[in-house]
Amino acid sequence: MGLTFRYKLEPVAHPILSLGGRWVRPRPIVAVTLIGPADSRPHDALLDTGGDETIFPDKLASKIGIDLANAPAGQIHRIGAAVIDVRYAEVTLRLADNNERREWNAWIAFARQKLPYSVLGFAGCLQFFTSTFHGDREEVTLEVNSLYPGR
Amino acid sequence: MNVNGHPLPPPDLSHFNENRNKFPADELRKYVGKHIAWSPDGTRILASGDSMDEVEENLIAAGIAPSQVVGSYVPEADAIML
Repeated sequence: MGLTFRYKLEPVAHPILSLGGRWVRPRPIVAVTLIGPADSRPHDALLDTGGDETIFPDKLASKIGIDLANAPAGQIHRIGAAVIDVRYAEVTLRLADNNERREWNAWIAFARQKLPYSVLGFAGCLQFFTSTFHGDREEVTLEVNSLYPGR
Repeated sequence: MNVNGHPLPPPDLSHFNENRNKFPADELRKYVGKHIAWSPDGTRILASGDSMDEVEENLIAAGIAPSQVVGSYVPEADAIML
């Protein structure tokens, strides 16, 4: 059956011409829980099939007990935007709807710069699911695939 | 915040998504540009601030464990994601 999430409806200041004059913009944003050695933090993140990595703000790392001082470093280049400096760490991610709960370990990029959204991208998240984005129903379903490492 | 030195277990978010979408858009507009903390059932905004740290300070002042809310950000109303 899989996890099903309705798109989050975000208010806008003007009617959206390309969406027939709607006053909200539907986005596949879900609440995901980051579980670390000391604590956990549920946080919104955008399911992004175009995203290579799963990225959260580095402030979340310290809040769940992860020290990034000696963590592997990297840079993420966004098309047409500034480079993002990141540190990688392994955390547990949890997604749940009212029928199912999934929890798995993944390497996450923690970004020093402010991001408009945290991102659930291919590495660490979407690689483990068959994801279907239902544009008509404005919902996304995630079904675990053969690579899913969790429980 | 923890209990006897142990962190609180993560909250149940099984109904978060469906309830949050019922939250009035006009009410949410008041938080544009702010970091916010949702109740785990998605029905209420428990705290807000200009940064994640400020939200957590406000939660702690209200006696709410930051691990028991959903952190979020309300983007500028005309922001387009690319």
